[in-house]
Amino acid sequence: MKKNQKIKLYLFFSFLIATVVFGILFPRLTLPFGFAYIVYLIAKPFTLRLTTGNRKQRIIYSALLTIASCFIIFPLVASLYNMGGDFSIISERLPEVQKILQDKFFAFKVSVFERFGIRINMDPVTLVMTRLELMGAQFLEEIPTYISSVLEWILLVPLFLYFFFRESNRFSSWIMESIPNPIFEKTYVLFSQFNTKFGEYIMAKFIEATILGTLVTIGLLIIGFPYPFILGFVAGITNILPYIGPLIGFIPAFFIAILANDPKVTMLSMIMVYTLANLIDMVLVFPLLVSKIVNLHPIVVVVSIIIGSQLGGIVGMIIIIPFIAFFKILFREVYQDLSVHL
Amino acid sequence: MSYEKEMMEKISRGETPEDRLDINLLKYMWDASPLSFKESYHDFFKKVSIINSFSDNEIRLFTKFLHRREFLPNEVIFKQGDSGHGFYFVFSGAVNIFANYQIQNEDQGDFILRLEKYQYFGEMGLLEEFNRRSATIVAAENTVLLGMFKPDLDQMLEIYPVLGAKFLKETALVMANRMGQLTREIVSLKKRLKEAEMKG
Repeated sequence: MKKNQKIKLYLFFSFLIATVVFGILFPRLTLPFGFAYIVYLIAKPFTLRLTTGNRKQRIIYSALLTIASCFIIFPLVASLYNMGGDFSIISERLPEVQKILQDKFFAFKVSVFERFGIRINMDPVTLVMTRLELMGAQFLEEIPTYISSVLEWILLVPLFLYFFFRESNRFSSWIMESIPNPIFEKTYVLFSQFNTKFGEYIMAKFIEATILGTLVTIGLLIIGFPYPFILGFVAGITNILPYIGPLIGFIPAFFIAILANDPKVTMLSMIMVYTLANLIDMVLVFPLLVSKIVNLHPIVVVVSIIIGSQLGGIVGMIIIIPFIAFFKILFREVYQDLSVHL
Repeated sequence: MSYEKEMMEKISRGETPEDRLDINLLKYMWDASPLSFKESYHDFFKKVSIINSFSDNEIRLFTKFLHRREFLPNEVIFKQGDSGHGFYFVFSGAVNIFANYQIQNEDQGDFILRLEKYQYFGEMGLLEEFNRRSATIVAAENTVLLGMFKPDLDQMLEIYPVLGAKFLKETALVMANRMGQLTREIVSLKKRLKEAEMKG
């Protein structure tokens, strides 16, 4: 490799590293930028069809952005406005909930002592409740911070999204030109594959979540379980996390079933609804929609989720899967090249 | 379909053509006109055998999916055994094709062919799913290549399916011709081998 080619290569990698460092140092910019990029990847196939050969692209992009903003911003503002109120109600009702749970746990302790003669001395209910109370208070304290960051996102995400729609071709051709020749072909193809896989994965997960949420809602409506819409929504959202998501989505319904003193609310029928919805998801929806896109071993998926949660919390848990799928392709490419040339 | 025909169809469908000036289209048309001294992509592709059957408007659309890459003399474009994803047209300069080229000890291996302006290479990389390059290509002088890669072909098929199909058909014809040529060469080599065996 000649000297100026080497310099070009070093400059390119230095630019890449500098971009990553900038991203880590300024998460308030990077996160909305990343979110806008994900939305852009999801919307790209549709906008491509809408705008092909059409010169009124600016109007179409503006209309799309307005519609998308209405769908995203309104529920966000509305839920944040209501969340404070909901949390105060929950805080007020916490002592009542604590009493019911303590009674149930006491009954359990007595039955264990009567049957096995074992005395349980710990008090997990008080422990959990104190922690919940603390978390609630903390959340209430931080609501202004959340609102300010939501407002920041409301301003930044549409701005970045408009930039992606309008300037992505020019921007990507500028990036393409700066990629040095020796790595151009591979970088371009891998980057395109990553973009396609990432967009398809997030889209497929949202469709899967909607189907599961709808199934749970219908099931809960049929058995007459309380709050079917909220529980369906929670089940759908948590289902975005593979494997552990359905379990997390089940927890609220489990607590509602314990706390409700209504004979109509039966634990067994509720468990059956969740199991059936998740079975349909596992047998039909997931294999048809998602698994073909990522094609990863279940153990790799679980390990990836744990790593993702450590790195970036809930967002990390969701987006780590397409990243791992991309690294699998990258590893295969590099390994095959090395095995040919070494 | 020509640009004029596309506009006429738009009008017949009741759509009003854009009254705003499209600077990129004007620039392209100016570059493609006989009054312009600069060789445009349009002039170039009119002389490339697999593209010259395309209409002016199809060439204009086709060039949107290309990447211009500049190479210095002796710069390796791709190596034998590399995974292949792209198809290249020689826009200016020339390239040499080698088999068993060693970069580390600068052993050029076996020279096979020199490709010059208006010629192309790497079409298998565009069509095969897991393609491995069968030879090493090195720039013989200052060379400009126009490359099309798998994602570009996918996008072209999505946005302009007729154009994509036309390009694929032309590429398939080139490959069919090469296969025919290879078969004839194998037959002739076998014949010569048989004759040599009989003499020996």
